[in-house]
Amino acid sequence: MILVNDRDRVPWHAGMTVQDLLGAMNYTYVLITVMVDDVLVPQEDYHHREIPDGARVTVFHLAHGG
Amino acid sequence: MSAQPATVARLEITVDGRSVHAVPGTYLLKVLQEAGITIPTLCHHKDLTPTGNCRLCTCEIEVRGKKRLVTSCNYPVREPIAVATQSPRVQQHRKLLAEMYLGRWPRVPVIQEVARACGATDAERFRSELTDESPTACILCGHCVKACEEFIQERILDFAGRGIKRHLTMPYGEVDPHCIGCTSCAYVCPTGAIKIVDDLNGPVDPVLIRDHGMKINAEMATLDRSQCCMREVGTANIVDVMDAYDLLPVHNYRFGKHVDTPNIDSKRLRREFFTQKMPDGCWNGCSMACAKTIDGFELRTGPYRGQKVTVDGPEYETAAGAANMGCFDAEFLAEYNFYCDTYGIDTISFATTMAFVMEAYEAGVITKKHTGGKELRFGATSETLAVLHEMAAGSGFGVDVGKGVRWLKEKWVREYGADRAFLQDIGMEVKGLEYSEYVSKESLAQQAGYAMSNKGPQHDEAWLIFMDMVNNQIPSFEDKAEALYYFPLFRTWFGLMGLCKLIWNDVVPADNKKYRPQEAAKVPGHVLNFQKFFEGMTGIPLDEKTMIDQSARVHNLQRIMSYMLGRGTREHDMPPYRAVGPVTREEYESRQDRYDKQLVETVGVDIAGKSTEQKMALLREYREAQYNKVVDAAYERRGWTRNGVPTRERLRELGIDLPEIVAVVKDAW
Repeated sequence: MILVNDRDRVPWHAGMTVQDLLGAMNYTYVLITVMVDDVLVPQEDYHHREIPDGARVTVFHLAHGG
Repeated sequence: MSAQPATVARLEITVDGRSVHAVPGTYLLKVLQEAGITIPTLCHHKDLTPTGNCRLCTCEIEVRGKKRLVTSCNYPVREPIAVATQSPRVQQHRKLLAEMYLGRWPRVPVIQEVARACGATDAERFRSELTDESPTACILCGHCVKACEEFIQERILDFAGRGIKRHLTMPYGEVDPHCIGCTSCAYVCPTGAIKIVDDLNGPVDPVLIRDHGMKINAEMATLDRSQCCMREVGTANIVDVMDAYDLLPVHNYRFGKHVDTPNIDSKRLRREFFTQKMPDGCWNGCSMACAKTIDGFELRTGPYRGQKVTVDGPEYETAAGAANMGCFDAEFLAEYNFYCDTYGIDTISFATTMAFVMEAYEAGVITKKHTGGKELRFGATSETLAVLHEMAAGSGFGVDVGKGVRWLKEKWVREYGADRAFLQDIGMEVKGLEYSEYVSKESLAQQAGYAMSNKGPQHDEAWLIFMDMVNNQIPSFEDKAEALYYFPLFRTWFGLMGLCKLIWNDVVPADNKKYRPQEAAKVPGHVLNFQKFFEGMTGIPLDEKTMIDQSARVHNLQRIMSYMLGRGTREHDMPPYRAVGPVTREEYESRQDRYDKQLVETVGVDIAGKSTEQKMALLREYREAQYNKVVDAAYERRGWTRNGVPTRERLRELGIDLPEIVAVVKDAW
């Protein structure tokens, strides 16, 4: 299980990448910052960086518009 | 736990015999610089598209056994290569070039520096009649041409002539009146050949203002296309985002998304409607240039029916207003946009009021008898435009609609015997102002951000939704209160200074990710820009506290004026329930999983056997209590009483405890 933003629990599977997680959450926003266990993940690594089971993931959406 | 996360998104290349990792597609020069290797260059600028003009950054690469020279600044690394940055061939090439530059511009410091780096010492070898002895000579690097095109999207400067006659010029060798004096060219000029000679408005430090403005120009040139695409589609991009996150107001804020949103989203507008493929800023020279237009649009209704016009927009709020009215029709959107602008009617207030009218019509509160025969159901595009034209002409039902949601509620209760509580729940206004186009139901902080605003739920108060609802970064009441302190005051501050909001967070510095979320949300690099604009104009340095205190003085005076007008207390900070939770059964059921989960996991009630109506009542009780708690916390943080009035201590702290001000509010203490 992965804990996202200290609130949402997402089932983990072997080989799950950051991009897989964003897809599962339907997070399509462009101004996103992702940290896995407090370590920043560069955007170019989203498709490749695997998330370990039990990880705490922060998906930070920076507001724009308004 | 699994094995350590694997990073496999990088190529391994060899540079001077050592291993270096590169993100595929990155230009070689950047890879080398990030690896700590210094490469000489004259024409490269980090914020401009590389061109390889000067050829000093040449390196020797080996691919599949074949060696060749490439200009590293514009060579993208796409496969494993071996790079030699200092091979004899490279050194010879650079030295020869540097001597040629030195022969032509021997006293220009950047040329001298590059020549030293390349081992070129003979300034006489290539001396000729072209030699320019000025230390601030133009070296034809092309930075200024690129900056004009990429920062401001203009082509005021360009090269003319070929070979030794190549020179920098404006069209026909004359000063181009289209040049707006943005000074981008001076900013990137490496030699001082272009200078600022005029400082309008007499700022104390024009260079400080220029330098921070240029940071934004550079970000627009390099980052916008991968961020918000403001240059391409403007704020219409937010339609797509809000729909994806269930935040787009649909059918008077009942829902947050709709299957027909693609009919009016930014992709469709870009593909079929926006016509001017050129910068169109609110003012000439804006590098964001997010205003968009539809040219040659033929109107179908109203006094200009049959005429082809230019539509200024649509922006996000206008398009979202169409969704709120259930009018997912791009032609309607363009027409309502045009006529609102032409009549001088706010698209947001019109759309929110019409959405309220439509829900009331479908609920039977009003009928054709009241609307002048118009069937005003959601999606009624022709009828909606008819109301708009009536409003402008001062006739028919449009006159009533033009008076807004608050007025309509009162009239319908008074004259038609409508249910006041129901109208209060669905009438989306606070303090008499209609809500802007964001669904705040799932964000407690945003509910308060809208309803506690002095001016009402206006669209520039709408940026707490993601922080709260999606990011969960302000979970406690204290966190929300802090956000409700800083952000409205920051917004008030840059509004007072006449600074555009869009350059705060509609493009974001690449290094903003280095901040923790709480700080990152403020976009510290851009707050600093604003503070430097202030300092550059006035000579007064600002820090965050000074800036927020400046704003707080005005904000508290606004609150006291609201109090004078009878709207400055707690009861006037209460939102309609539609902004807080589901009013109708179908609303609850559209998000049943979310609401049931909140009741079970957060409220702690057993929902087994409970009807939707019972669950709605429990949810309402909980959410309204939560709302009041966040108001309490925000009042305390702002230094206001529990009734929302600034305290004597707060006025004293801000230096605005003047007798005439105290006299207005002392009865409330």
